[in-house]
Amino acid sequence: MEEKVLQVRNLQTHFTSDAGVVKAVDGVSFEVGKGETLGIVGESGSGKSVTSLSIMRLLKDTPGKIAGGEIFYEGRDLTKISEREMRKIRGNEIAMIFQEPMTSLNPVYKIGRQLEESIILHMKLSKKAARERSIQMLTAVGISRPEKIVFEFPHQLSGGMRQRVMIAMAMACNPKVLIADEPTTALDVTIQAQILELMKSLTTTTDTAILLITHDLGVVAEMCDRVVVMYGGRAVEESDVVSIFTNPKHPYTQGLLESIPKIGDRVERLSSIPGNVPIPAHMPMGCKFAPRCPHAMDVCWDKEPSFDKLTDNHSVRCWLYEEVPTDEPNLVGSSER
Amino acid sequence: MNQTLLEVQNVKKYFPIPSKLFSRKKEFVKAVDGVSFTVNKGETLSIVGESGCGKSTTGRMIMKLLDITEGKVIFEGQDITDMTDDQIRPLRKEFQMVFQDPYASLNPRLTIKEILEEPLIVHNFNKGNRNQRVTELLEVVGLNKYHADRYPHEFSGGQRQRIGIARALAVNPKLIIADEPVSALDVSIQSQVLNLMKDLQEEFGLTYVFIAHDLSVVEHISDRVGVMYLGRLVELATRDELFGKPLHPYTKALLSAVPIPDPTVKRERIILKGDIPSPANPPPGCTFHTRCPFAQETCKIQVPEFRELESGHYVACHYAEELEIN
Ligand SMILES: Nc1ncnc2c1ncn2[C@@H]1O[C@H](COP(=O)(O)OP(=O)(O)OP(=O)(O)O)[C@@H](O)[C@H]1O
Ligand SMILES: Nc1ncnc2c1ncn2[C@@H]1O[C@H](COP(=O)(O)OP(=O)(O)O)[C@@H](O)[C@H]1O
Ligand code: SF4
Ligand code: SF4
Ligand SMILES: [Mg+2]
Ligand SMILES: [Mg+2]
Repeated sequence: MEEKVLQVRNLQTHFTSDAGVVKAVDGVSFEVGKGETLGIVGESGSGKSVTSLSIMRLLKDTPGKIAGGEIFYEGRDLTKISEREMRKIRGNEIAMIFQEPMTSLNPVYKIGRQLEESIILHMKLSKKAARERSIQMLTAVGISRPEKIVFEFPHQLSGGMRQRVMIAMAMACNPKVLIADEPTTALDVTIQAQILELMKSLTTTTDTAILLITHDLGVVAEMCDRVVVMYGGRAVEESDVVSIFTNPKHPYTQGLLESIPKIGDRVERLSSIPGNVPIPAHMPMGCKFAPRCPHAMDVCWDKEPSFDKLTDNHSVRCWLYEEVPTDEPNLVGSSER
Repeated sequence: MNQTLLEVQNVKKYFPIPSKLFSRKKEFVKAVDGVSFTVNKGETLSIVGESGCGKSTTGRMIMKLLDITEGKVIFEGQDITDMTDDQIRPLRKEFQMVFQDPYASLNPRLTIKEILEEPLIVHNFNKGNRNQRVTELLEVVGLNKYHADRYPHEFSGGQRQRIGIARALAVNPKLIIADEPVSALDVSIQSQVLNLMKDLQEEFGLTYVFIAHDLSVVEHISDRVGVMYLGRLVELATRDELFGKPLHPYTKALLSAVPIPDPTVKRERIILKGDIPSPANPPPGCTFHTRCPFAQETCKIQVPEFRELESGHYVACHYAEELEIN
């Protein structure tokens, strides 16, 4: 079996406030191999961003804490190492790009300075070499006139260009893992197409593993090798991209795929998942999808199903595929079913 | 028989750019720069395009929420372009708007009942009828009367968008201008709202101008589609024509850029180079020439006419015929 760069096992990240504990992430598992792109899909609030912040250990400024689980990166558990060790990995071996590039570019520094600082810090290059590397990276991400752009401020660039700069910055230190949280959501489709093409070519040339977080199933289909579907803070299904789209097992994945309009495949009426995306404060007891699920059974309301392998290649969290426990007292003699 | 409800004739909106000190020259953002179309009774006309191309500005001019710099808006045969507030009041209730952001468009200090009553009060519904109408409206959009006394923050995005739609429907309008009504919603909620809009159209014979950037949503909801680029319409056709036989190079690129949610399909993609130019300083000639893979010398100088190449199929490109053959 090929080597996995990153393995997340049963991750749990909780936020504590006066109102109580919010289990933003409560059981997420996946693996990514070298050069592989793993998609994490789910609706708003399903825990995608919290998952990536947990891997990067960027929860310090929030009331959030990793409450359980493991995150193995090259054999080391990132939940256990010191902040000092983590600093060496963050931005260097594991890099991240965010949905809104302005949140991670510093508005008061010129583009060149921001790129160079990160390169000098992580790659221990001289100032001159760092400048060269910056320009080389800006060229690689398709920015014309890179020698000029290094003297500009982030606000002078368009959204698409800022996102390219972010990618240049993230890729400058040859990371082994790139976490991209909705990297194209804020962009127009024609610009999105440019950025996705760029990310594709980067993985093939550098063998970087990508964790691509998105709510857009079209982007997933085009970019990813494997897919994790999240719902209510849990991973509910995981498989290779073709199986997820052609043979989805979880009722939520099935509903999601049926509810999106597809160009060239028109239907009079879209099917839709009834109800609303759950909010953590009112999470149902058993399966988090039960209130919206067309197949919900009694057990679904009481007990949460576990995330199990159906085949070597396909995992799902749903009672339809699990032996329902019979630890209840036997209803002998009961006329009811 | 097609009956025209709305006619938009060569409308323009130029926003002045605050001029630099001592500079004499007044500069403008040409947000909308000569857009024409008609909307027939009972149909859905969509306007698509990338951010900043002037979709919302067009919608707001039709609603008379913005002054029109040039051109005409004609509603049911009446030229409303220069009507005063007093003159337009009786017509106001005939066209309503639904906004993109279900969070920002509802007043957080009002209950749902108060939000829905507002337009009824403006248009002189009496009190008894108002209560009944609020209940009716909530039911029409799939909520119920128990929701009436709650505040917007107690609702999810999809529910808030339903409330926005209920508010637009309150005074029985003929035309609804929906500006990105599902863009801010989760995928599984989008389809609920799209279905609701279709049902309401059928039930009340509504006419929609549907503003959007998501082409898959547009293909689903529209009868006809107009594509905008830098303040102008570049193509306008029936849905089937536009998606099946796009004639403008920009439309083709836009369609090919949409990621298809099917990993077994591999296709050729037209990747446009460069960024969308600024509407403060649009390129001369065909404004798309800086990114067009087929641009010729003529394109840099001459503005292509928005012409009817085939019946009902309009396109603004000098070379649409030749490109069609290839
Ligand atoms: N700083 C915080 N304090 C408290 N709760 C938080 C915090 N950050 C996130 N959460 C909660 O954790 C849950 C998961 O949030 P997360 O940002 O991971 O969602 P997401 O899947 O990335 O959604 P989106 O698609 O909207 O980006 C949400 O319910 C959110 O309210
Ligand atoms: N009130 C305003 N003042 C100045 N410029 C504006 C104003 N409203 C919109 N614009 C500009 O007009 C152009 C078109 O905007 P808009 O109609 O909102 O685009 P869309 O809805 O297609 O994204 C953009 O360049 C935008 O910045
Ligand atoms: S566990 Fe039950 S409720 Fe949950 S998805 Fe499966 S069938 Fe539906
Ligand atoms: S007129 Fe010229 S530049 Fe414009 S779309 Fe047609 S071929 Fe391209
Ligand atoms: Mg997020
Ligand atoms: Mg807009």
